Amino acid sequence: MARVETKRGGGDTGLPDLALRGMTLGYLGWMVVLPIVALGYQALAAGPQAFLDAVLDPQAIHALKLTVVTALVMVVINVVMGTATAWVLVRYEFPGKRVMNALIDLPFAVPTVVTGLMLVLLYGPSSVLGTILGQYGFSVIYAQPGIVLALLFVSYPFAIRSVQPVLLELDRAEEEAAATMGASGWLTFWRVTLPTLVPAIITGAGLSFGRALGEFGSVILVAGNQPMKTKTTPLYVFGEIESGNKQGAMAVSLVLLALSLGVLIFLNLYQRRWSPEDGH
Amino acid sequence: MKTRVQILGFVTAMAISGLVAGCGSSSGPVASSGDVIKLGAYSVVREAFHDALIPAFQQHWKQKTGREVSFEESYNASGAQARAIASGFDADVAILSHSGDMNQLVQANRVAKDWDQNATHGIVTHSVVVIGHRDGNPKGIKDWSDLAKPGVGVLYPDPKTSGGARWNINAIYGSALLASKAASGGSPDLAAVGDLLKRVQANVVNMDASGRQSMASFSERGIGDAVVTYENEILLRKKEAKPIEYVVPEATLLIESPAAVVDSSVEKHKNREVATAFLAFLTSSEGQKLLADYGFRPVDPASPALAEFPKPAKLFTMADLGGWDEVQTAVYGPKGLWTSIFSDQGK
Amino acid sequence: MAINQALTGEPNGFNRMSASKWGSLPIGRWLLMTVVIGWFAVLILVPTVALARQAFAAGLAPLGRAMASDEFLRAFGMTIGITLVAVVVNTIFGVCFALVLVRQRFWCKTLADGLVDLPFAISPVVTGLMLVVLYGPDGWIGRYLEAGGFKVVYALPGMILATLFVTLPFVVRGVVPVLQEFGVDQVEAAYILGAGRWVTFWRVTLPSIRWGLAYSVLLLIARSLGEFGAVMVVSGNLLGHTQTATLYVHDGIEGFRPEGAYAASLLLAAVSFFMLIGMGTLRKRVKTSKQT
Repeated sequence: MARVETKRGGGDTGLPDLALRGMTLGYLGWMVVLPIVALGYQALAAGPQAFLDAVLDPQAIHALKLTVVTALVMVVINVVMGTATAWVLVRYEFPGKRVMNALIDLPFAVPTVVTGLMLVLLYGPSSVLGTILGQYGFSVIYAQPGIVLALLFVSYPFAIRSVQPVLLELDRAEEEAAATMGASGWLTFWRVTLPTLVPAIITGAGLSFGRALGEFGSVILVAGNQPMKTKTTPLYVFGEIESGNKQGAMAVSLVLLALSLGVLIFLNLYQRRWSPEDGH
Repeated sequence: MKTRVQILGFVTAMAISGLVAGCGSSSGPVASSGDVIKLGAYSVVREAFHDALIPAFQQHWKQKTGREVSFEESYNASGAQARAIASGFDADVAILSHSGDMNQLVQANRVAKDWDQNATHGIVTHSVVVIGHRDGNPKGIKDWSDLAKPGVGVLYPDPKTSGGARWNINAIYGSALLASKAASGGSPDLAAVGDLLKRVQANVVNMDASGRQSMASFSERGIGDAVVTYENEILLRKKEAKPIEYVVPEATLLIESPAAVVDSSVEKHKNREVATAFLAFLTSSEGQKLLADYGFRPVDPASPALAEFPKPAKLFTMADLGGWDEVQTAVYGPKGLWTSIFSDQGK
Repeated sequence: MAINQALTGEPNGFNRMSASKWGSLPIGRWLLMTVVIGWFAVLILVPTVALARQAFAAGLAPLGRAMASDEFLRAFGMTIGITLVAVVVNTIFGVCFALVLVRQRFWCKTLADGLVDLPFAISPVVTGLMLVVLYGPDGWIGRYLEAGGFKVVYALPGMILATLFVTLPFVVRGVVPVLQEFGVDQVEAAYILGAGRWVTFWRVTLPSIRWGLAYSVLLLIARSLGEFGAVMVVSGNLLGHTQTATLYVHDGIEGFRPEGAYAASLLLAAVSFFMLIGMGTLRKRVKTSKQT
């Protein structure tokens, strides 16, 4: 989040301004703060012991671990491929580039449940690909790779769209200097370009990670839902809601919420440090 | 200025009309003297109700009272449906997979305590737990223990969201328990029973949210070698020209699915008369015949239609296993045989 | 926020010189391009084609029938209705709050600014759970509403609330940077010339933010069309009543006639795709308007 600079317009804060401020803050408080507070309160209302019991349940712990691990794996792959994709989109020319560039945002627009359906159709055990992979003992759908695949799809644009604008605006002077001094393309990239991209890469990584923590719609069709094997945290929370274990659902939700908020806060602070000027 | 106001007005009008369109009544004409029944059912009975029982009842009601009745239907996994009704979904008639889910509604004060004090004990359909397999039965599946064989991919839904899953797992549990009791003359070897459950669970490929989803995974998406399911689900597929071969294990569980009027809702909607009539229709001979068309066994043991269904050698019921509460604790409770499978795996 | 940065990335503006001069060895370049385009194809293109193939596998007739069915039409009617409400409410909120954030200064502004981003970070399932906790029959607000006969959870209001929650940040985040770039000079000039607040807003401010606004509204619509997890938890999945298009897809997959689910999936994906094209054009306009 870029720090919002205030630009005062027209005199001191008058009544209409205050009214606007009050109404919007009221809406924000009602819609966002109140539900979170309600959840936190209810989750802890039964006492710290009940809360801990719910969170330390082996299935809950496994679900949390699984979510974090699959998210991390996805982030690493996404960051590498995302940076490479942004590079290719910015620096190279090839037929179909405009189409591809538009389609990068497809995961933003496709409903998550449709994503799950697409992946099951393509990689499921009855599909051509699925059967081939199955013969090599490699199962995608209903196994952990399937989870990572779904996460990769839904987070695909984040890494690319974070890096792309930075690459576009990049001042080539240093790269050119390195080239004239005889550095190879790869060395120039590694030593000169990449360091300037690091903030954007980290932002993209943070966004992907945050998205992956909470992903539900695509994972539910693809993961297998096996407790202690392929039940991610949102799936676990859903199962607990559906089977009447509200306490467990709320407690684990609170943990997940805290994790997501942590990522958000980290991103905000990081951006403040690294982009003190507004405009991007 | 004017165009902006016009645009705003247009947008608002569209929003309202969209909502109205989405909110229209779902099935059946709504005359000024129309009755409405809100149905909260489990997913497996969708076709039987939506295609046959509801239209038949609408006709029956028109003949009997001259009034039209329209239905608002919700089909969900049984556990999810029970929870929804318990938490405030105002269905007038609840049709669930098992009495355990119905008891949830009793405890939430939605359904009266005497819901099962009638001729059929509140049960409207019978079925049995069977195992569907691939054509030709390449893995040679004949009984519950075959599901534990290595290399067999098993499908059944998640007991957390699906009542059907509990029937399936209870069938496996029950057959092993009763066999063990018979063999040892009274005290069953729980460790062996638990072990069977564990080995079957290890073979499970995917736990869908409902029985219907498991069937779809098995037949539409070609997943797994064996699906543990209700007999009526298999027979329904035969009816829909997508047959699946199946085997009725030697000892299997009788599935008794209940239906009840949700008192809190009919009080609110003032439609107790038509809701009770619908419930009675389900166990009437016409209703049972329609249900039999969709693969359900008749509830009346003296019914001639029963002869058309295969008779398993040993048919046991939940009562034989000690009832829902007992099984709930023994199998799904915190130290239950099925729950323990996962806590043992705790990392 | 970073989202905004991510979203205003530009499709072109690439330096023709760079391709030949500063790329690595030709073989390395080809390898990179192959890997990148291959990854894109495998991850994005191929699944989409697989869906389309599966949808049309049984021919057009079953698809047409499914799309004309009552359930399908009601599900889409519901999605469209909810989306329109979300657009109107959150656009008004978004513009107003952007004005407040950019032009006013108050003690908890940074906090409020951060709060707006929360819906981006919260899992849809948790959103649904929060709303059930708050508005369900036992909830702080729900208990009074239910007593008054107004159902939120398992009914339309709950689904609208869920969608409002998840789409809350879009317009704010899209408008704030554009508003900041625009500055206050023109606004102040208008005031000096005697124009009232409202006139200034309509004639000066609003036109300046229109491309950023349009872009964020498109994103909002795409998000609202696709909302699944929160709505699933909050609604009763009542056929024809509280079933959105995405719930219809999820429902249809398990049925005997999945053509409806495939048709709905294709329709949702296609609508979103065409909005994407629109977004691409708008992205350019946002960039050029920022430069003026």
